[in-house]
Amino acid sequence: MRIVDTRGQLCPAPLIAAKKALRETEAGESFMLLTDNQTSFDNLSRFLKDNNTHFQFSKAEGVWELTITRLTGDVSETRAEDYCTPEITHFEKGNYIVVVTSDKMGEGDEELGHLLMSNFIKAIKDLDRLPQKMVFYNKGVMIVTKNSPVIDHLRDLEKMGVELLLCATCVSHYSLSDSIGAGILSNMFTIVEVMTSTGNIIKP
Amino acid sequence: MKVDLLKMVEYGGCSAKISPKQLEEILKYLPLPKDPNILVDIDTQDDAGVYRINDELALVLTTDFFPPVCSDPYEFGQIAAANSISDVYAMGGDPVLALNIMMFPADRLPMEAYAEILKGGFDKATEAGVRIIGGHTIDDFPPKYGLAVVGYVHPKRIIANTGAKPGDYLILTKPLGTGIIMAGQRLGISTDGDVAEAKSLMKQLNNTGAGVMKKYSIRGATDITGFGLAGHALKMAKASRVSLNIEMKKIPLIGSTYKLVDEGCIPGASFRNLEYAEKDFSFSPDLDYNLKMVAFDAQTSGGLLICAPDDKTEQILTDLKDVGLTESSLIGQVTEQKEKLIYMYN
Repeated sequence: MRIVDTRGQLCPAPLIAAKKALRETEAGESFMLLTDNQTSFDNLSRFLKDNNTHFQFSKAEGVWELTITRLTGDVSETRAEDYCTPEITHFEKGNYIVVVTSDKMGEGDEELGHLLMSNFIKAIKDLDRLPQKMVFYNKGVMIVTKNSPVIDHLRDLEKMGVELLLCATCVSHYSLSDSIGAGILSNMFTIVEVMTSTGNIIKP
Repeated sequence: MKVDLLKMVEYGGCSAKISPKQLEEILKYLPLPKDPNILVDIDTQDDAGVYRINDELALVLTTDFFPPVCSDPYEFGQIAAANSISDVYAMGGDPVLALNIMMFPADRLPMEAYAEILKGGFDKATEAGVRIIGGHTIDDFPPKYGLAVVGYVHPKRIIANTGAKPGDYLILTKPLGTGIIMAGQRLGISTDGDVAEAKSLMKQLNNTGAGVMKKYSIRGATDITGFGLAGHALKMAKASRVSLNIEMKKIPLIGSTYKLVDEGCIPGASFRNLEYAEKDFSFSPDLDYNLKMVAFDAQTSGGLLICAPDDKTEQILTDLKDVGLTESSLIGQVTEQKEKLIYMYN
């Protein structure tokens, strides 16, 4: 694994090094960063959390070792136009998450199933209280592709502050890595954590 | 011998302030003096204290000092003095007298540097019409410099954090980014042009902006220093019992500030300020993270944040530009108090 050694450097130099290394790291890959400064460590942790970047750390003899993994394909960075919306009100969220496990809603006729799923996603946007998060796994990831009929609605939900977590294993299993149009690639640990920490799971 | 003051400090300028969170904890245990003549004290989170002498006159008292924010001693003196005097302008006062406050490592720096810092302070004070009539120096490392300033204000014309009214527009008179640009300079990633612009902004007195505030009888304003735009806006919202909407994209930034932040050049002070303030903030879900961190960037000798009444906002902006504050911008609005105190948008 690549090691970025920022020992002896003061804030914000370690952060600059971390950001540079993140940009040079492929999605799914990790690198290790060393710092011997408490403030730098605190600020790095805060920055990585704020930017949904997964990391683990250990400390020995005054040196912190951070293993930083780039999970996202930087979906957010590629859509600059999303940052141009002038007026976005702040939306309330309810105490529930939505888990999407299929590209269809309910069992029965396939075409009807697709239509119902589309209507479901559109309807969520109009709820008084939005979901805390939306999780997509197995065939559920298929409705988050760029060509999905509901991709615009999902992007709107994301802009309204709803985090969309996509099972990275599922995305690569269905070879969709290049066609994902919203959300953050996530791992099973995070998905399980989100599902167990929320009281109410809504599954279409 | 060429002296580089920046080599001596981790945090320069207003970045060196103690964390606002810690400060608040400590001040809780310090009783405030009770006296009807104290018109403004720390209770309203203001920039300076104001003490009434009679119906026509009150004194504005303030002090500020910090470690070097730039390499050149003379420029450091100018910037520190402009920053110290700024608090008087922000309160609507006229600065009159000052004392030097200096800490200087006599065994580690040539005495010429000491003289240069004082000369810079003296020249800036003279420009502001302030007479420096004394001071105090301690042998200490790293060097630190600033002024204790006294100004006059009419007791009925004080401008304070308490004066923001729902419906007012927010005007900021200088671009943001001094903390980021100067941190970048230390790492060798800021351009010379950006550093020159940042220094010239830090040296700029807030007297012209204060003149415009007086002309329009403004009652609510603050100057932006170590707690960043976000931190000082929050103090104003608290003191005035209102909420503020701030639109980050409307705020001019110095040169390549945005690019530096995007590369990760976020000074430690920004994180300290964020940690203190964020519980009172609502960040729009699509808020650009870089712009958010710019809002928390500690400014040294920053601009004035002015609450302008709706019907005068356009004239005030025109006047500010006419007096040379060409990057003055309308950056948000005051509303009735809501669940959060600051609502920040792109």
